[in-house]
Amino acid sequence: MTQVEKYKKPVRILHWIHLVAFVLLFLTGLVLFIPGLGFLAEDSWTRVIHRIGAAVFIIAPLIYLIVKPKSVLHGIKMAFTWGSDDIGWIKALPAYYFKGDESKMPPQGEMNTGQKLWWLIVLVFGFLLVISGLIMWFAKTSAPPALLQWMVFIHDVSFIVAGAMFFVHIYNGLFHPLFNEAWSAIYRGTISEGYAKKHHGKWYAELSKGKE
Amino acid sequence: MADKAILYDASKCTACRGCQVMCKQWNENDEVIPTEENGVDSRNWGSYENPKDLSPTTWLKMRFTEVEENGQMRWLFTRQACMHCTDAGCVQVCPNGSLYHNDLGFVAYNKDTCTGCGYCIDACPFGIPRSDRNLLTGIAKMDKCTACTSQGYNRIEATAAEADAMYESWKGELIPACVKACPPGALKYGYRDTLVAEGRARVDYLKSQGRGNATLYGENELGGLHVMYVLEDSPDVYGLPVSPSISAATIAWKDVIQPVGWAVGGLAIVGLGLNWLVARANINKEAK
Amino acid sequence: MTNHWNDLANSDVLMAIGGNPAENHPAAFGHITIAKERGAKLISVDPRFTRTSSKADIYAPIRSGTDIAFIGGMINYILNDIESNPGNYNLTYIREYTNATFLINPDYKGPADLEGLFSGYSGSSNEIDGTKRNYNKSTWQFQRDENGIPKRDMTMKDPNCAYQLIKKHFERYTPEKVNAICGTPIDTFLEVCRTFAASGQVGKSGTILYAMGTTQHTYGAQNIRSYTILQLLLANIGIAGGGINAMRGESNVQGSTDYCLLYHIIPGYLKVPVDSDTTLAKYITRTTPTSNDPLSLNWWKNTDKYIVSLLKAWYGDNATTSNDFGFHYLPKITSGQDYSHISLFEAMNEGVIKGLMVWGQNPAVGGPNADLERTAMDKLDWMVVSDIWQTETANHWKRPGVNPAEIGTEVFLLPAKNSWEKEGSVTNSSRWMQWRYKAADGPGEAEDDLWMLDKLAKRLMQLYTDEGGPSAECINKLDWDYGDDHPDVHAVAKEINGYDLTTGKLVASFSGLKADGTTSSGNWLYCNSYVEPDAEPDAPIPGNRASRRNLDDGPFNIGLHAKWAWCWPVNRRIIYNRASVDLDGNPWDAEHPVIKWNPAKGDSGGWDGDVPDGGAAPMNQGGYYPFIMKADGLSNMFGPGMADGPLPEHYEPWEAPIDNTMSKQKNNPVFKIWRPDQQGTPDKYPIVCSTYRVCEHWQGGQMTRNMPWVIEAQPEPFCEMSEELAEEKGIANGDKVIVESARGQVKFVALVTKRFKPFKMNGSTVHQVGIIWHWGYTGLSTGDSANILTPHVGDANTMIPEYKAFLVNVRKA
Repeated sequence: MTQVEKYKKPVRILHWIHLVAFVLLFLTGLVLFIPGLGFLAEDSWTRVIHRIGAAVFIIAPLIYLIVKPKSVLHGIKMAFTWGSDDIGWIKALPAYYFKGDESKMPPQGEMNTGQKLWWLIVLVFGFLLVISGLIMWFAKTSAPPALLQWMVFIHDVSFIVAGAMFFVHIYNGLFHPLFNEAWSAIYRGTISEGYAKKHHGKWYAELSKGKE
Repeated sequence: MADKAILYDASKCTACRGCQVMCKQWNENDEVIPTEENGVDSRNWGSYENPKDLSPTTWLKMRFTEVEENGQMRWLFTRQACMHCTDAGCVQVCPNGSLYHNDLGFVAYNKDTCTGCGYCIDACPFGIPRSDRNLLTGIAKMDKCTACTSQGYNRIEATAAEADAMYESWKGELIPACVKACPPGALKYGYRDTLVAEGRARVDYLKSQGRGNATLYGENELGGLHVMYVLEDSPDVYGLPVSPSISAATIAWKDVIQPVGWAVGGLAIVGLGLNWLVARANINKEAK
Repeated sequence: MTNHWNDLANSDVLMAIGGNPAENHPAAFGHITIAKERGAKLISVDPRFTRTSSKADIYAPIRSGTDIAFIGGMINYILNDIESNPGNYNLTYIREYTNATFLINPDYKGPADLEGLFSGYSGSSNEIDGTKRNYNKSTWQFQRDENGIPKRDMTMKDPNCAYQLIKKHFERYTPEKVNAICGTPIDTFLEVCRTFAASGQVGKSGTILYAMGTTQHTYGAQNIRSYTILQLLLANIGIAGGGINAMRGESNVQGSTDYCLLYHIIPGYLKVPVDSDTTLAKYITRTTPTSNDPLSLNWWKNTDKYIVSLLKAWYGDNATTSNDFGFHYLPKITSGQDYSHISLFEAMNEGVIKGLMVWGQNPAVGGPNADLERTAMDKLDWMVVSDIWQTETANHWKRPGVNPAEIGTEVFLLPAKNSWEKEGSVTNSSRWMQWRYKAADGPGEAEDDLWMLDKLAKRLMQLYTDEGGPSAECINKLDWDYGDDHPDVHAVAKEINGYDLTTGKLVASFSGLKADGTTSSGNWLYCNSYVEPDAEPDAPIPGNRASRRNLDDGPFNIGLHAKWAWCWPVNRRIIYNRASVDLDGNPWDAEHPVIKWNPAKGDSGGWDGDVPDGGAAPMNQGGYYPFIMKADGLSNMFGPGMADGPLPEHYEPWEAPIDNTMSKQKNNPVFKIWRPDQQGTPDKYPIVCSTYRVCEHWQGGQMTRNMPWVIEAQPEPFCEMSEELAEEKGIANGDKVIVESARGQVKFVALVTKRFKPFKMNGSTVHQVGIIWHWGYTGLSTGDSANILTPHVGDANTMIPEYKAFLVNVRKA
């Protein structure tokens, strides 16, 4: 079957680097969240990894932004462009997600509504994690204790939201029967035409138009 | 085992700082030798109060406050060290139980397991714990007053009953270094109940001597402190919080966010598992 | 101390003046805390609000150097109050136990008549040479009857009686004058008067706690005299909770004084022989006071027994009746010559003294006019320093600003053991001789002082025997045998106690000492401290009473602790305790009795309680006067023996910001000035300065400035000043400031505080600052020495330097 390019190589590299950073951050953060795992954090070594992860987590997208500013703008534009099809997507989601009922699902663009939501979560909570994290990292000895405590609060709220959605993200990419080519998209960069037509109808239509 | 406590009587303290020096010596804490090279903190900054602040190696320091009212001068002295709260913010936020209450009621800690997160530093209503922190790597260890029990108590590996027996037989000996050092008898160590009674009596006496605002600080604060102060005036005059409390952020974090986090995390995993079962079945059926 | 540290707990009013016990005697302050728990009042009189003031019921600010005006004002208040409320005072005590009733030479005239001078002054008051300025004291003496017994007026109405003269003298010290001189607000001053005067009631006690703030003035001895008069008027001497208590600044300074730290005495406060003492008999005649009064015990009449026993202890078999017991071996000082600290350093500076041994002292930091004293040491040929650290004194040849190549002094540093590394005794402020054991070995080659002295003495004896030399016999006739290897400290302690040489047994008490050469005693005051084992079998070291550690409170439960260590004289815990009872031997204060006559005791009655000042019956039953160390048996309210007047009169310090408000006589007329050209004047140096110590550091600093924990607690020398002065000078807290006097300048940290206030007197404002003096150029923590600023002037009676009041200026560095 004919393959269509879904993600270019740079964005895939960014994705995988960011994923590794996030997992590191997630796991080294988790040990402070689950008392039973606290012993793993002894002597601060998880804190060192957390900071290395954080540095990658922050710097990788910044490098990508410098190298591929148009791509970033394109993505942000897509994530923030919402229309009636997105409302329709949300309405159709339960039946679609659990039963595979595609009948009410409006055709989606290059970035479907679910991906838009994921993007928004990554942008908003990533930003909150980075800001609160940086304050805790570098202003620990100078900021007022109350501020630091609220930074912990924000960091953890963001951690919970981002973490939960991260589970969804992993699940969708690896296990959900409908998204069987998501792995291909982010690993090889391509999806089949059929998959593109089915999941990104509008985008596929545009692509097809372009070809003609 | 009955709780022990330290009673500090500010009305008897002459701020000789024998406690401060003895604390360092007994706990083998380093000092800052004042040379030009190692910075401003070690120099006299225009006060009797040196070093200027608590640090990972200064667990106890005396605070000097000059108060002048209606031409009457007062020079007030306060102890600045861990208050060993019953409702201890530090113990609540410690992610892995490195901070805990020992059998004597004091807030002890296991420095070996400390993760260096520093949550305790921000959660303490008295601003006591300090950590030696590498700002870049984040490597840190918390330190604070142990009431000289955390280490010694662990070291002798005594059971609570044995510790009680030892306390009874060695009363004058097994006491915190600061208490032992105190020349005017401003520091006392003993059963908390006894010291509460002593502190109350002393406050009554001070009141009878015209110190109307005299108070026993720590009798009920934060579930009862294990370091109580006899003060000649209201706590704020000494720079102490009038009603110390666990901060909203501690409660929000510990009592709200953590359970919510567990719930959300759990729900997400359960939901996704369910979805996998349901969706796979449905979609497979459809495919057939 | 007339009393002892624990006795402070018995006091009803405690006045700390010229001392800061919470700062400098922190352990002893616990006893004050106990008194306060009982409801006692603590008064703190100090130029600044101190750690002691923070615990005081009354704080009275006083400009440095004006104690006599302050206490004079209190005396005046009390004398007036005695007129209106005689029932509040113990008039029997004043009449019977003091010399207030004595009649004085009718030719006596005081400062009220003579513009600040006493009768008998010779030399111009403007002359500065102390040898030319002195008093002929003949007009200050008591009138005596044909038997030589002082004439008394028991009504104390005679205008020539001491009481009336004191009244006349002090009536000039009104509260307004006190305010104008001391800067103390009048209402505060009167509150102090009322509070302290309340201790004059029979059964009440008040104590004065003082230290160097009192003594280190050109009239320091007169400051103490003013306390004496005050305490005698209030009947506070000899009783529990009373007394005049010198808080000693070092653990053994009392002991070193007992053993002749000062040049005018030899052990046991015997007077030093002078060149005119050509025979032992002449020495004894000159130094033994006499009294023909049968009621006066005149204890010093025993001087002959003590000097002979001392000579026997020193020279042993070489001291015989035929050679005046070796009296001629002793070096004699030139009569009238001054050998005090300042004189010695001036002599070094002039090249007269070529060698110096410094033992546990640090004059390069602690000496007045320190730069001058360091320069004086440069001129020495050799110097031996024994200390536990390198000191500024030992390192004077390589101090900042000098070229070591140009200094010819050969310096030997003997590493010493500290007090915990050797066995021996120390004598504290309470006069307690306490035995200490060795707790640890000394580091490296460190040895104890006794070892060094033993080796030195043996070598010198050999050298003088082999080579001879001037006064060789002084050394090589010594009876020196404390063991061959390491000298035995017990042998020394026993020799100090003394032996009955006929039996070879330790003497039991100084009453057993004899003038015929059959007894020995290295210090008669310490007789009774180390006795035969069977006389004190329960002591940890049998016979060694200093080793006793019995926690029993002692007789009458007033904290005498009679079986804890040993106290001179003969374990008497409160001296002059015969004044604590009435004429029938009943305690004035039934609650805190010191001694009490018990008619049922023994054959004809005896005393219960403390060891009495002599065992005789109460005065009404034929006993003698209570003050047995005084020739006339009564305490000197009027003191004709002083160099600078029989009564304390206010003078300004050598360097003073204002003129004397009391009289035209600005300074004490007879104190000694070495360098008149170094006098600072108020136009250039308008600020009063005082030196003092802080709790965290010790004296010249050699011990604490090498101790990192302590250095951290108090890292730098500072200059304390008022917010007002700081603002005037543009100085912020923590700034570096230059403090400058006519002698030199130092750089300190400014400590700007509300606790120092400018003094407002007679409409003028006088600022005062305070500096701490522990620092120098050697050790882990270094800094400028405050004593660079202090002058070479000495008290009229004692030659103590005037460290506590001089003039400086301050500016931002």
